[in-house]
Amino acid sequence: MEEKSLKRELGLLHATMMGIGGAICAGVFVTLGYAATLAGTALIIAMILCGIINLFTMLSYAELGAALPSAGGEYTFAKASFGGFLSFATGWFEWISNMFYAAFSSVGFAFLISYIIPTVSIPLIAIITVAIFTVINIRGVKETGLTQTALMIILLGLLGVFIFLGIFTSQNAGSLELKAPEGFLGVLRASAFIFVVYLGGEAIAVAQAEIKDPSKTIPRAILLTCFALIIIYTTIAFVVFKIVPAESLAGKASPLAYVAEQFMGPLGVGIITVAGIIAALSSVNTSIMASSRVAYALARDGYFPKGFFALHARFRTPVIATLVGSVLIAAFAATGIVNFVTYATDFGFIIGFVFVNLSLIKLRRDKPNLHRPFKVPLYPLTPILGIITSLLLIFFLEPSTLLIGLELFIFGLIAYYIKMVGHYRICLAMSGMNLGISAFSALFASLIISNLLPISLSQDIALLLFCVTILVSITYLIAGLLNITRKRG
Amino acid sequence: MTKARKVASRLVGGFQCGLGGFASVLAYLIYASPSIQDMLAITSEEVPLYMFLFLVFGMFSILSGFLLVHE
Repeated sequence: MEEKSLKRELGLLHATMMGIGGAICAGVFVTLGYAATLAGTALIIAMILCGIINLFTMLSYAELGAALPSAGGEYTFAKASFGGFLSFATGWFEWISNMFYAAFSSVGFAFLISYIIPTVSIPLIAIITVAIFTVINIRGVKETGLTQTALMIILLGLLGVFIFLGIFTSQNAGSLELKAPEGFLGVLRASAFIFVVYLGGEAIAVAQAEIKDPSKTIPRAILLTCFALIIIYTTIAFVVFKIVPAESLAGKASPLAYVAEQFMGPLGVGIITVAGIIAALSSVNTSIMASSRVAYALARDGYFPKGFFALHARFRTPVIATLVGSVLIAAFAATGIVNFVTYATDFGFIIGFVFVNLSLIKLRRDKPNLHRPFKVPLYPLTPILGIITSLLLIFFLEPSTLLIGLELFIFGLIAYYIKMVGHYRICLAMSGMNLGISAFSALFASLIISNLLPISLSQDIALLLFCVTILVSITYLIAGLLNITRKRG
Repeated sequence: MTKARKVASRLVGGFQCGLGGFASVLAYLIYASPSIQDMLAITSEEVPLYMFLFLVFGMFSILSGFLLVHE
């Protein structure tokens, strides 16, 4: 292995398919039911609204991607404009989010396979899927792009069959009259809920160091992805409400399969199931690629270990970054913990949106002479609208999602300080935290023995808990003292 | 560094790593096992909070332990 530059082998078609494939995930097959109960047939409006919100930020991606076409996407933009911890945090969230997304998609794929072959082991299938796409990603970016294009042609073909037959079928049990049972607020809530189906298109920016003629291809691919997604999702919603009433979608595990069954019978269910399988596979492929490029860019700037920056001598792909990421993805998928942490992917992607728009504004002010082959129209209104709408989406997230986002932020902060701050200062910080935990444990032990805890414990449990907390207190006191008395240097 | 200090660092560091590992496993069990949630009287709304506390404690302990072991 040696360090060389990444190969520019992705053309407009591959890059666009990377963007569309990153966005069309299993989400669109399952989220429509609940969204329809919130917005009714006005879900069509919500789909267009989400597409416009997505476009605000994607225009910023297009400008920055064309001006700074090196690996890393949001991280690279934040590094050029802010630097320091803010850029690291953006890259950290991007790396983690893509890994969770890949794990979630591989588990989703395994679940869909288990519907067809009930005896298969879901974790095993998820791990095999990750392994196969890891090999493809290491083999070369051209192979990754070709695989993605092939998957997307099949997926778009299947969705095209659903849309075409749905439009021309004589079955019209639904209604296309726009009605929102919960009014405009319901449309807004539905927009926040279904916005996830637009996330992932920024994979183009992450792979920008491998895109041919980046100044032209990146903006074109991003804009094509945005408009294609709006058209695909809006026409799917149109067909759904033409075939069945909005109320009938409530509680359906796979609303699209239900609708397809109404006018195509069991064949329709089969088509939608296969489309879901392909969508999951394309998300795994894109996310593995995206996470490896972010890790590669973080290593390039010294935030991650140097090994992540090494390229395969023959294939010129970031082999260590891909392998380490894939092992973590497989671990997340195999333990099942991904179902819990996947909510954090939305948080990570939305934080990325905010930073991209902020980076655009800062770079326009700090580097007005930077060569910009593409410029965001209506500046500064467009990036400001991008920031506002992204922040509004955060407020609509579940509280547990925000808590997981905070956990990831803390882990990122720890990782940043371990890498960037001197060893002696870390030991001092550890010492302070050790002593703090020791004092807290001693206080907790005294509350247990005084029976002042607000919960009732049996005598045996209280004694056991008291002994454990005293042991923890003594251990952390000694650890704190050992760290604080350490020699400098 | 005296030999006694070296031995103490390794012992305490190793114990901290063990505690950290135990806390991380407990965080996972709280998420994955409804019976553990029942046993510890944790409601489903409280699961993210307990996971957060145990994961942060676990990670910190493992890091602190490693620093001591490799002093």
